[in-house]
Amino acid sequence: MRQQYARRVQALAGAMGLIALAIIVQMTRIQNSPEAAIFRQQASNYAYELRTFYPDRGEIYDRNGHLLAGNKSVYEIGVDLSIVKDPHAIATAISVELGKDYSQVIGAIQNPPEGLSYVVLADYVDVEQALKLQELKKTLQEQAEEGVLGGLTGLEFKSHPQRSYPENSLGSNVIGFVSREGRGYFGIEEKYDTLLAGSPVQAFVPTDPNKAFEIPRVLNGTTLVLTINRDLQASAEQILDEALATYGADNGTIIVMDPRNGELLAMAVTPRMDLNQFWNYGTIYNYASEFNPAISMPYEPGSVTKILTMAAALDSGSVTPGTTYLDTGSILVGGAIIQNWNQEPWGMQDMTGCLQHSLNVCMATLSTQMGAGTFYGYMDGFGFGHLTGVDLAGEAAGRLKLPGDEDWYPVDLGTNSFGQGVSATPIQIMMAASSIANHGRTVTPHALYAMVRDGRQYDVPAQFAGSPISEQTANTLS
Amino acid sequence: MNIQNVNHLVHAYKIAPWRIQRQWIGNALLVVVVLAMIATLYLDVTSQAAIAGREIQDLTTSISASQQASADLQTQLASLTSARVMEQRAFEIGFRPMESGEAEYLVVPGYSVLEPDILSSAPILQLSALTIPPEYNESLLDWVDKKIANSARGAQ
Repeated sequence: MRQQYARRVQALAGAMGLIALAIIVQMTRIQNSPEAAIFRQQASNYAYELRTFYPDRGEIYDRNGHLLAGNKSVYEIGVDLSIVKDPHAIATAISVELGKDYSQVIGAIQNPPEGLSYVVLADYVDVEQALKLQELKKTLQEQAEEGVLGGLTGLEFKSHPQRSYPENSLGSNVIGFVSREGRGYFGIEEKYDTLLAGSPVQAFVPTDPNKAFEIPRVLNGTTLVLTINRDLQASAEQILDEALATYGADNGTIIVMDPRNGELLAMAVTPRMDLNQFWNYGTIYNYASEFNPAISMPYEPGSVTKILTMAAALDSGSVTPGTTYLDTGSILVGGAIIQNWNQEPWGMQDMTGCLQHSLNVCMATLSTQMGAGTFYGYMDGFGFGHLTGVDLAGEAAGRLKLPGDEDWYPVDLGTNSFGQGVSATPIQIMMAASSIANHGRTVTPHALYAMVRDGRQYDVPAQFAGSPISEQTANTLS
Repeated sequence: MNIQNVNHLVHAYKIAPWRIQRQWIGNALLVVVVLAMIATLYLDVTSQAAIAGREIQDLTTSISASQQASADLQTQLASLTSARVMEQRAFEIGFRPMESGEAEYLVVPGYSVLEPDILSSAPILQLSALTIPPEYNESLLDWVDKKIANSARGAQ
């Protein structure tokens, strides 16, 4: 009995062992079969997906932390053609909520380009409108019978950031704008486009949760802090608008700059543009130089140049503040007669009276007395004909004709002394004049105060640009 | 029971024919239990790692959504406090622009000029794959593979 029992047990154990062995053999065979290789290949195709991470564009603040340019969410609304149930319902909803043409929408859904499974119906849709459509889709799904798809099935919503300018047109000439393609135009947006935009990262992202640590970290674009003071900018723009209305002028510019460090506190121009509606650019401006005339539209500066001529004359030792001359009302320079603004003689004048009465004859006397070499040397030192290096896109250099140029005539030595026959941008005049207020030193004007990246703030130092006149001359003039 | 009886029992146990069989069965069961424990532990650790990984993926998505929502709110706040809106609100509650002659300058002891705000927050510590020791992200099979590969390399 015991032997028979033992045999049965051994037979059972043997059978179990064989079954276990068969399972192991089968597992090994399946794991190494050609089909397994195909499945492994298919799995590896889905193990990673190639994704491009676009960093959020950096924000722009004024010097006191007021947001001048930020980002807001908008939606791209499209249709997944493989699961659309009711194209007419989708076309109706889109045309009612977004104001799109019904026939165009239904055409896009029913006759899509060949090979497409997803069609974009609208982009840059405001959050409120997108939420309304999402609610409608949800309601229709809830109202549908169990197991039946809702009428807006297939309607897809993808959010993405869009540039937003909370201050609308305030400081538009300084800030610039970003197109829908994400490229910066004009001002800070163009000058620092690469910094603001950051670098898109293309990476294979694992779908396996065990490899979640491989998800790449994408740094957002650099945030910029400007030297602009929002409230000062608003006041400057208001004052400018009132002045234009008072005097009936077409255009004007106000620049407020700290001469010690070149920080631009305000830069008001006309016309300005609501940056949130940048597509109106073509209707507001005829030429790119009109966007920020303070830096890109050279003009004939006129009498403001007189302080620079006087600075040159004092610095070169040609005159002192007490030097006198007899103003006869006209002077002959290069064969042409130069007269005062009122075409009258002003008699005996010292250098203070010269500036006080804005006398052209006096200035022409000073420039001819200095000679072309000395006079133009100083004008070159003040930055005429050179870019100031301001960190705003689209700066123009203006022009200072020099002896030897084809279009330079001897009379220019006289007229240039009171700002005629030369062209300069307002920012160039500002930089030149700032040397008088800053002990003879010029500093490169700039609108960037600091950069904030990866949690750290990097301040932008002032850049010394030159010393066209001595400290003593600057102090005498000021 | 005296010592002799105990010795008889021990001797009888030692020469019992089923003793060897039970030892074999016991050892086999021990191996099965140990394997089962390792398999359970492996499954537990793997599933926990998978859950943690999925949570990381979800949190990454949540962070992006929160950042976008934060940017939206920040822009909305900036619009509500823009220069034009603030000026309009000031007019509505009875303020008016000051004339230049109305200004009175007072020296306020201890007042310091408003400096630009430092906008940056503290840097967020970010774990990267390079700083995580392999013990925290490799599976048991990965570990065994690595050991085998290392020993094979060592043998070469």
